[in-house]
Amino acid sequence: MNSPLRRRAVLRGVAATALLLATAACQSAVDAQSGGAGSTPKQGGVAEVGVNVDLVPGNVLTNSNVSITTVVGLVYEPLIRYGKDDLKPQPALATEWTAAPDGTSLTLELRRGVKFHTGRPFTSEDVKFSLQTYADPKWNGQLRSTATAITAIETPSPTEVTLRLAHPVSNLFDLLDTAPILDSETAADIGTGKRFVGTGPFKFDQWRPNTDLTFSRNPDYWGGPAHLDGVHVRVIPDGQSLLSALKSGQVQLARGVGYRDAESVANTPGVTVKPLDRGAELQAYVGINVSVPGLDDPRVRQAIGFALDRERIIKKVFRGAGYPTSLPWPKGSPAFDAARNGHFTHDPAKAQALLAEHGQPVPIVPLTYVGTDNVAASVAQIVQNDLSRVGITVELRPVDSTQFVKQLIGAQFPGLWTTTHSWAQFTPSTLAVSAYPFNARRNASHFTADTYTAAADEAWQVPVGGDTPAAYAELSKQLLDGSFLTEIGVVFEQLVLRDALHDVDYTRRRELDLGKAYLS
Amino acid sequence: MRRLPAQAVVGGVLVGLVVVAGLLGPLLVPHDPYTQIDGANLLGPSAAHPLGTDELNRDILARLLTGIRVDLLTSFVAVPLGALLGCAVGALATVNAALDVAVQRVFDVLLAFPQLILAIGLAAVIGPGATSVVLVVVLVEIPVFGRLLRAAVLRVREAQFVTASEVAGGGRGWVLRTHVLPNCRGPVLVQLALSMSVAVFIEGAMSVLGIGVTPPNPSLGSLLATSLRYLDLNPLFAVGPLVVIAALVLGFGLLARGAGNPALEAA
Repeated sequence: MNSPLRRRAVLRGVAATALLLATAACQSAVDAQSGGAGSTPKQGGVAEVGVNVDLVPGNVLTNSNVSITTVVGLVYEPLIRYGKDDLKPQPALATEWTAAPDGTSLTLELRRGVKFHTGRPFTSEDVKFSLQTYADPKWNGQLRSTATAITAIETPSPTEVTLRLAHPVSNLFDLLDTAPILDSETAADIGTGKRFVGTGPFKFDQWRPNTDLTFSRNPDYWGGPAHLDGVHVRVIPDGQSLLSALKSGQVQLARGVGYRDAESVANTPGVTVKPLDRGAELQAYVGINVSVPGLDDPRVRQAIGFALDRERIIKKVFRGAGYPTSLPWPKGSPAFDAARNGHFTHDPAKAQALLAEHGQPVPIVPLTYVGTDNVAASVAQIVQNDLSRVGITVELRPVDSTQFVKQLIGAQFPGLWTTTHSWAQFTPSTLAVSAYPFNARRNASHFTADTYTAAADEAWQVPVGGDTPAAYAELSKQLLDGSFLTEIGVVFEQLVLRDALHDVDYTRRRELDLGKAYLS
Repeated sequence: MRRLPAQAVVGGVLVGLVVVAGLLGPLLVPHDPYTQIDGANLLGPSAAHPLGTDELNRDILARLLTGIRVDLLTSFVAVPLGALLGCAVGALATVNAALDVAVQRVFDVLLAFPQLILAIGLAAVIGPGATSVVLVVVLVEIPVFGRLLRAAVLRVREAQFVTASEVAGGGRGWVLRTHVLPNCRGPVLVQLALSMSVAVFIEGAMSVLGIGVTPPNPSLGSLLATSLRYLDLNPLFAVGPLVVIAALVLGFGLLARGAGNPALEAA
């Protein structure tokens, strides 16, 4: 017969075991991604990655799709790297740097013992070549204005380089974080996709168009060889097929999975959704061609800003992976201003009042978006609905992604357009002098204003670190006054991962970093 | 008078129901298929919304009934148009040997591609939209009917009654119109019904691939494509378009079988 004492002891034992099991279960769930505190990474294996779009070799310096950011992240390295939580440069291929007091030159000491994948040593001449290549208009690098502000690149020794600038450039380190260091001897092959040679942890082996890309470990990597033997990137354009490949374990990491699909797969055992929400934010927006009749009046553009239901778009289309905003700056940006960020609320009455001030009916406005992008299609339909409620008729115009990018770079949109932009997570002046939608001197909206250009230059033409909150405040004011682009919200790209792949990382440009990743 | 084959009757009823629903349904449903109703996100079935609402707060039933019209357009306008053009080209090709060779090589090229692949290729050139879907179906069907009619004409014109007609002084065109073409009707009718069901598939596949009807216009394919992403939140979202597509494809299939049944010829 059981005594009460013994029963209590048994119960205590059961409770303690349950607690231990629960703790272990919670811990293993947390450790599934990180690999577990103190766990030893396993060597070997090939990580299988699925992407929804194929590589466009000619756009490799544009960070414009997930294939490109995957290739750049695996193969190339920049001179410096920003951390995720601040804009303090950290050593990468450059180990030290000294800026002139007047901000018109920067001298960098380069890392010694670094080799390209061909075996050739990395030197200051490669830095010169890479920055000059980035400045070449044919590569459409978005930080070209910063690259062209470099008037001379001096290479006094193989490990030292000095950049001479036309004027102080506050976002110089943005360029040094962004521009990949290319091997000058093989760079001609980049445009055709034949070879991508860098100094990164993985060597490019092969690209089969519309099929896959293969990479193998760089055994001579200066930071120590990667744990993985290689990476195999499969191009799977159909969202459902990509999702199925992930669920079945054919790929361990999927990029380009839609927000709704990521939400639905998040509860699948062994699958984790990782938002790139630290320093790699994107912004969803509606661009406005201000040369179109009707849209040339800032009151109409501001009416569009008040007509949009941003909360609904973020919640229902981006499934909560972001937050609404009136300005491009994410919360971590030095230009973020909570008061100004709440400028545009969903206020159809105010929008109608602004349209009444305009005094004339707005002609039917075309809205261009990428037709095969479900997210863009949903955003476009909500924008169409919101604007129709205040009296603006919108005609939806889906186009293919190539045509869309061409129209964006060529500033050829016939009215409105919707997509996402980046670069607001960098030094704020980068957005105003570089990004296609915002560039003060030539943007996709055809918007020009002396006050905006002056505000952009005020924030840009100061030494690194010399930019001020006042300059950012003026920039924000100009963006709101001009309203040539209506922000919807800050949104996050999402990596969808199998728990078998650990320590996956990313950069501020959403480049994939598998240098420390391993399989279990 | 003999009775129609049962399969043709069942097929006709299924297609007829969908046609009536597409023509009259949108007039009877109280909701506009394009209106986004405040707060009505992915609602389940209710008296107000018998099939629930979609991801953009629109009544699914209203969109389903409106979407049927796109498929009716492709089935009853695009396919017959493609059939007419294909038959005309096919018939003309039988008159002149050189023209026949040229036409057959063009058809060879077009038929070398599966219909859906051809549709995707054409849509990439023409661009998305309902007009594109119709054009794609027309272009896809031309070689199908052209090749079919040519083969039928070559077979029928060897028949003795055609030879007799020519011997009696009938001109080539007159013989073709009066004796040959009417006797090629059977296979064309069967193919017509089959092609109508294929057209429903093409529209659906194009919409699933994002190259079909452009938003916010609904079609059966686009509704089905969207619903697949929300199955866990509103499983009934997919039921409506699935049932209608199944009814149309099955209906046309049964009609095709019925059309090939000698009983129909006799009826």
